[in-house]
This record gives sequence, structure tokens and C-alpha cells, in this order.
Amino acid sequence: MEKYFDASYIWNAIPLLLPFLKVTFLVAGSSIVLGTFFGLLLAAAKLSSKKVLQKIANLYTTVMRCTPSIVLLFLVYYGVPALAENVGLNLHAIDTAFFVVVTFTLQFAAIMSEVIRSSYLAINKGQYEAAVSVGLTPFQAYRRIIFPQALVIALPNFGNGMIALLQEGALAYTIGLIDIVGKANLIIASNINAHALEIYIALAIVYWVLSIVIEKFFAMLEKFFGKGKRTLETT
Amino acid sequence: MNYQFLVETFFVALSGVPIALLVTVVALLVALPLGFLLALTRINKIPIIHHLAKIYVSFVRGTPIIIQIFIIYSSIPLILKMIFEKYHIAYDIYKINPIWYAFIVFAFSTTAILIEVFRSALSTIEKGQLEAAHAVGLTTFQAYRRIIIPQALVVAMPNICTATVNLIKATSLGYAMSLPEITLKAKVAANVGYNYVEAYLDIFIVYLILCSTVEYLFKRYEKHLSKYKMANA
Repeated sequence: MEKYFDASYIWNAIPLLLPFLKVTFLVAGSSIVLGTFFGLLLAAAKLSSKKVLQKIANLYTTVMRCTPSIVLLFLVYYGVPALAENVGLNLHAIDTAFFVVVTFTLQFAAIMSEVIRSSYLAINKGQYEAAVSVGLTPFQAYRRIIFPQALVIALPNFGNGMIALLQEGALAYTIGLIDIVGKANLIIASNINAHALEIYIALAIVYWVLSIVIEKFFAMLEKFFGKGKRTLETT
Repeated sequence: MNYQFLVETFFVALSGVPIALLVTVVALLVALPLGFLLALTRINKIPIIHHLAKIYVSFVRGTPIIIQIFIIYSSIPLILKMIFEKYHIAYDIYKINPIWYAFIVFAFSTTAILIEVFRSALSTIEKGQLEAAHAVGLTTFQAYRRIIIPQALVVAMPNICTATVNLIKATSLGYAMSLPEITLKAKVAANVGYNYVEAYLDIFIVYLILCSTVEYLFKRYEKHLSKYKMANA
């Protein structure tokens, strides 16, 4: 009788998958950097005194929050070249990684705008006023007083956002990106779909380990940057 | 852009909404009680089970849902095939309706999320409230039903709303299981004329309407629940 499940396939698959983590990291890393910057702009818009900017930024976040990643991915993949054609550009030769990065940048920006906004609002206004009253310039006040405290508050959410991005990034294989998931599907195809379960388990193990590592890393960062923090003793 | 196709496909996508909502509701009906019970095992440190629950939560939170779908979609036919062969049951495992896979996958992943939601919500209720309830003669079941759960629900509801919206969005991945919901219906329609931009715009709009509506309804319910909110000192 044919063996239904062969555990050795799991251990054999992992070394085959790991080199393609490079693609996964490259795409995720680009999205995180660009998304954080864009998120900062959105957060600034949300916190600004102009009502129009607030509404636009909040609307953007709401729309992103209601859109499944796979839908956004295909909208960007099919929509961006279609738009570009209207202005005479041909984007069909562009690598799929570009569309993946655009998609997850847009999505990560929405997450980051909320992370930045909430961590900024968590710092008491009086701290800024105190800093300015002793002669610091606004820039110095932000750099020396506000930012270090807001960073500690933002780190856990940033870590969560990063893990979520990494996991949503698994969908990139659907538009042909050969990252770790894309490679897994190629392996399965070359096995004529046999032992798919073992390959997927190997994939799950890799992602699981990655998530735990990121979690531990951000817990460490939080402890390090929070070393100057003194909280009120309650009861 | 083909506007006629855009309008027509919107209603095709809309016809997938009942399936998406059915999957969401069934998954929640399974996940809410299970999540609550497993949260209790974690809080009360029930031997063995709370360790398993912790690993389970870690696994679900640590892996992409698309991979969970792949694993469950691959393993269930295998398991059923072994069982059926052992007991000589003549049933074609490849004729199973994909909606069952959807129920299992989404209940599986949502339960893990709700374990943490309930754990954090229950942690906000002081132990003294349970003791006070016991002191006046309530049974443990009555204490939870009347005192603890209403207060914990106030704290948990925003997170349950988030979990529900994420669940609705996750049904877009049902296409990987051949589940005929919003995304797959519009994709199939688009394949005929390669009108992918229009199809995905329709899908996007349907999800936007659906998720916004659900969020609105949850906000209404949260307002209703706020009468159970603990008074602040």
C-alpha cells in the first residue's frame, strides 16, 4: 500500500525552501521601509488640524482595513499596468516583485499610521510643553523627549504589523512571485502533486519559527528601549 | 474599462455574499464557545490542555492562513481515506463539498484568535467578583453567566469585531479550496473576457460594503453592551 504520509519529505523540503526566504525578506523588507514612511505621512495627516486631511487619511485606513490582501494584490497587479497604459507606459515587463511591494506597502502604511498615531497620542502633551518651556526647539523636543517614549509604545504593535505583513506576503505566489511559498508550489508540481501535505507542513514550520523569532526580537527591543521608563506603582 | 461588465459582475460578486457570510457565521458559532472554554483552561491552568492551547495559539498566529488552508485541504482527504479504507466505507472523498473545508479551516484559525481575546478580557475582571458571587450563593455557572461574562464581553467586543472582519476578509482565500464565494465567482466571470480589473474592482467594492456594515453593526452592539461596563473609580 502506498504510504500516505512520509515525514522525511518535511525535512528534505526545508533546505530546498530556505534559500527562497531571501525573496520573502527582500519583498517584506521593502514594504516595511516604504510602508513606515508612508504611514508616517498618514499619521501626520490624521493628527493635523486640517479636517480634510484627517478625513482622507481615515478613509484610506478604513478602506485598507476592509480590503482582503488577495483582492488588493490583484487590483494592483492588473490595475497599475492598465492605468499606466493610459499615459503611454508599458509596465508588462516589470518583475512581479514590484507589484507585490506596492501592494504590501499600501497595506502596511495603513497599519503603521494607526501605530504611530496611537503611540504619539499616548505621550502626555505636557511633556512637549515642558520641553519647549526650558528652551528646546520643537525639533529637539520631538527628537529628545517625544520620540524615545513613543518608540517604546509603538514597538509591540510594529512587531505585530511586521509578522502580519510577512504572513500576508505568503499570498504573493498567486501572481507568480517565486518566494518561499512559490518555491513550495514548484516542488509540489514537480512531484506531480504527491506529498503536498508534507511540503506545506515544512512551509508552516518555517513561518512559525520566523514569527517566534520576530516576536522574541521585539520583546528584547522593547525591554532595551524601555529601560529608562518608570511606571507608577499601582496597589 | 468595460463599464457594462463592471455593473454585471458586481451582481455576480454579490451573489457570493451568502456563502461568505454563512462560512463566517458557522466559524464564529464554533469558535466563540470553543475559544471561551479554552481561554478558561489557560486562565485556570488546567493541566495538559493549557499547554496544548498555548501551542495551538502560537501555531495559528505564527503561520499564514493560506498555508493553514493548504494543510487542512491536503490532510483531511488523507485522514478520511485511511479511515474509510480501514472500515471499508465506500465513500468518494473527492466529492466532499468544499464548504466543509471552509468551515473547518476558518473555525480552526478563529478559535485560536478568540482564545487570546477572551483570555485578555477575562483577565480584566477582578477575582473578587467571582468570590462575591459565590458568597451570595450563586453557582459557578450562574456567576459566569450573570456576572463575569457580561463584563468581559464589554472588553472583548472590539476584538471580536476585528476577528469577524478579518474572518470575512479571509473568506476571499476560499478560492484555494474551490469555495464559490465572492472572489471565486467574480474571477470565473472575468476569465471569459480577461476583464480582471473590473472583476477585482467589484470584489473590492463588495468587501468594502460588507466589512463596513459589519463594523457598524458591532459598534451598535457595543453601545448596547456598555450598560454592563464597570464603573471607574
